[in-house]
Amino acid sequence: MLSPRANYLLNCGGCHGLNGASNSRLVPDLKDHVGFFLNLPEGRSYVVRLPNVAFSMTTDEALTGLLNYVVFTLGGATVPKDAKPYTVREVSQLRRSPLTEVSLVRMRQAMIRTLIDQYHATSDLRLYGVVDSSSTPSSAR
Amino acid sequence: MTSPFDKMSEQFTRNLARFSSRRGFLSKLGVALLAAPALPLLPVARTARAAEPKSVTPKTDFELHAQTTDDTKCNYWKYCGSDGVLCSCCGGGSHTCPAGAEPSPISWIGTCVSPEDGRSFVIAYRDCCGKPMCGASKSCWCDNTDREMPTYRSSLNNDIIWCFGSASATYHCSTAALVGEAK
Repeated sequence: MLSPRANYLLNCGGCHGLNGASNSRLVPDLKDHVGFFLNLPEGRSYVVRLPNVAFSMTTDEALTGLLNYVVFTLGGATVPKDAKPYTVREVSQLRRSPLTEVSLVRMRQAMIRTLIDQYHATSDLRLYGVVDSSSTPSSAR
Repeated sequence: MTSPFDKMSEQFTRNLARFSSRRGFLSKLGVALLAAPALPLLPVARTARAAEPKSVTPKTDFELHAQTTDDTKCNYWKYCGSDGVLCSCCGGGSHTCPAGAEPSPISWIGTCVSPEDGRSFVIAYRDCCGKPMCGASKSCWCDNTDREMPTYRSSLNNDIIWCFGSASATYHCSTAALVGEAK
């Protein structure tokens, strides 16, 4: 069985970066950011129910280890002090109701507004989703 | 007239009949048959079995022909999922961009098996971007597919130009950076 770090690299690291940050506008930073979401119950479940997380090619056990690595290691000091690690049972249940019928952008915006206003989260959370015309993909191969 | 041989064989048969029973023979044979599998194998047989490879994963076509010396060839071991023109043929290296091209911060990640020790390593397939496509010879054009997935698993697809996230989305060439061991 692979380590949580290896599972992170193989399932998330390409886009999110080897250490949790790549292009902050295109891919949400995990490093020193993701822990803020655990201040809110809906934030804690959001992290698991995101489609690319819920539908990832991982077992419940591997995904739980991966998520705890992302939140508690990459998230660093942003995790609330009283936050408990995800359990396999919790992850197994949450990933069975993926967020497929909502606007993920709006849901995220509502949460980060609360996190910045009430939980002293960094306003860098707003970087993701800011459109930059210089980094539009093309098909010029 | 009976020969001495006849007498001897007759005596032997009579003794056999008198001192042994069929049931006794069968029970001894049964014990021997039952005990045989329980006895340890001869050391020779056990050593031979231990030498067999532990891995049961069949090698991919790429892995059967991979080499570790020439990174300007498509069968260089780290290129097991590479699709595109090799940066090592364009003035860069297997994991570095040629001058004037920029590595995309976003890539796809897979694994390749080292032919030297059979261990699996995490590979980040980063495209180099921001210059027109490199015009290297045909032998530098690769289309390997180990651990790559179809477009519906786009995060693991190698047909995508992995240049979004860098300043320019123009594709120049492909690299394969070793990130660490997959364990």
